[in-house]
Amino acid sequence: MARVEFRNVRKQFDDQNKQTFTAVAGSDFVINDKEFVVFVGPSGCGKTTSLRMIAGLEQQTSGDIVIGERIVNNLHPKDRDIAMVFQDYALYPHMTIRENLSFGLKNLKKPKAYIEQKVQEAASILGLDDMLERKPRELSGGQRQRVALGRAIVRDPQVFLFDEPLSNLDAKLRIQMRVELGELHKRLGATIVYVTHDQVEAMTLGERIVVMNKGVIQQVASPTELYANPRNMFVAGFIGSPAMNFIDARVEEERIRIDGAEFVLSQDAAEGLKSYNGREIILGIRPEHIYGEDFAPGVSTEHQMQAHIKVVEHLGSENLVYFRIGSRTVTAKVHPETKAYSNLSKQFIFDLNKARYFDPATEERIDW
Amino acid sequence: MKTRSKTIFLLIAAACLIVWSIVTIIPLYWMLVGSVQDSAATASFRPSMLPEAFSFAPYERFFAKTAAWRWLLNSLFISSVLTITNVFFASLAGYAFAKLKFPGSNAIFWVLLSTMMIPAQVTLIPLYILIVNVFNLGDSYTAIILPTAITVGNIFLMKQYMSSLPTSLIHAARIDACSEFGIFWKVILPLAKPGLAVLAIFTFVASWNEFFWPFLITNSTEMRTIQVGLASFVFAESTDFGAIMAGASVGALPMLILFFSLQRYFLQGITIGAVKG
Ligand SMILES: Nc1ncnc2c1ncn2[C@@H]1O[C@H](COP(=O)(O)OP(=O)(O)O)[C@@H](O)[C@H]1O
Ligand SMILES: [Mg+2]
Repeated sequence: MARVEFRNVRKQFDDQNKQTFTAVAGSDFVINDKEFVVFVGPSGCGKTTSLRMIAGLEQQTSGDIVIGERIVNNLHPKDRDIAMVFQDYALYPHMTIRENLSFGLKNLKKPKAYIEQKVQEAASILGLDDMLERKPRELSGGQRQRVALGRAIVRDPQVFLFDEPLSNLDAKLRIQMRVELGELHKRLGATIVYVTHDQVEAMTLGERIVVMNKGVIQQVASPTELYANPRNMFVAGFIGSPAMNFIDARVEEERIRIDGAEFVLSQDAAEGLKSYNGREIILGIRPEHIYGEDFAPGVSTEHQMQAHIKVVEHLGSENLVYFRIGSRTVTAKVHPETKAYSNLSKQFIFDLNKARYFDPATEERIDW
Repeated sequence: MKTRSKTIFLLIAAACLIVWSIVTIIPLYWMLVGSVQDSAATASFRPSMLPEAFSFAPYERFFAKTAAWRWLLNSLFISSVLTITNVFFASLAGYAFAKLKFPGSNAIFWVLLSTMMIPAQVTLIPLYILIVNVFNLGDSYTAIILPTAITVGNIFLMKQYMSSLPTSLIHAARIDACSEFGIFWKVILPLAKPGLAVLAIFTFVASWNEFFWPFLITNSTEMRTIQVGLASFVFAESTDFGAIMAGASVGALPMLILFFSLQRYFLQGITIGAVKG
């Protein structure tokens, strides 16, 4: 059983001027056995620090960390039954690939035959058989990445820790490795904690995702849940590309008024927003939930507004249309057959069933 | 005209370097020329630019009149030991300062660095009293070696070098169940080889050329290093110019040979710490 649990874990750093900086502010979460969990957030939000605390490379300032059934607060990394893949791979440059793979097992004083077998196994899983006698510098970026994976695999750990393992690969290789990592997870049946700043990587790999910002966990949920029901404006804006539109709006009885239009709310929404009557709120709607009036199959045409198109970007499979509402630029992701060009005044349909509402003061989603 | 002013600059620079080279090379040249002529020709202390009567007699006289072989051996032994201790301790300390967090590491480092600001002459007498009167080590190898077994300058150099090595390797090794000393020995030292080579060469040369401390601390003839021995020979035989030049050549030649065969590392040493990675 290799679950990983954080119980109110904090990490503070003292910088040169004796200022304390909180890198992780009271994290609480449970990662289940065999689960693939991704930590995602902008750079500097404390993802790596969280991962390193699991590994034991960094000691938390307070709180408990549990791996399996044990509180591991005071355990050395080697006793935590984890393996880590580093962003820069951290292969030992002066050792051959074989030595790189076997270094950990040798230090653990495993029998020679066992080491040999493990290295062989990992090498064949990762297609490294021909490279065992080479040095890391003789390998391509993708191959080095595999060696870094292999070094983790030979350890047979309860928990794999990945720190942005794909960020140094080119786009094509990254997608290929992403697929392979998914397969590897099924094959190894191990718990994986994976850190990335790339929300696409997080959405495709993670069974559950932990979204972090400025050291604080924003939401822990499945990809679909994060996409559909982001807890606050940060998560809503971070997950999904292009990002969700935030439009200033005002609740008036059963309607909301935005610059240039007035929409009648559904019964649920009207009920839920009752306490905001007469106040400003923020309407969040994803670009893919705004349609051109001429191409909106199966969408209720109830909520429409006229807008002046500023720019259109043609991506082939879809077009991105930019127009303004009030002071905000709004993006619509529309079907390529939608008629759209700059300076055209066009009728847009808003699928308000998919829209979410946020409190402008707290930036939290208004829930009902 | 950019290229023109650049050309002028280069010409001036070249001229300066040529003058400087001549100034540095002439004494060296005199030394070598003076060491291979019969003393009659050079007794005047005004050696000619060309050897007038070529002969190895000055060398024969120098080795016959002194314990030069013993001195060379002393120098070799002391320089070697100092090289080993400095490389080992300075890399260990440099690694600790660069990569390990321990309470007060910054404070300790700055205290060490500040000792570099104190001129060696100031500490010479206390050091002498400490070694001779307190530790009773006068006139011994230990006395010569101990004070510079590790130097702050070398620690600083190694700290700079170690800082440029990726920390993730240390973390990887820690997860790979490597002991802390194992990390230093099996991961850091092999990667630091170029830096260690530079450190070793510089230390060896500096120790070989060191004069004042060994001169102060040694009494007996057989404890002298080549540089100290040479000085005593100069005092004793101040008229035999040829033999003095021969002795100076014997003291300097090993370093010249070392320099020319390891030129690459000397150049690296000048830029070490300045360029990272
Ligand atoms: N050893 C350290 N000393 C001081 N500050 C640190 C240290 N490690 C990380 N930090 C700071 O903590 C914050 C979070 O860092 P990190 O966890 O690496 O972020 P990321 O989410 O990009 O992986 C950053 O602002 C970083 O500057
Ligand atoms: Mg990071």
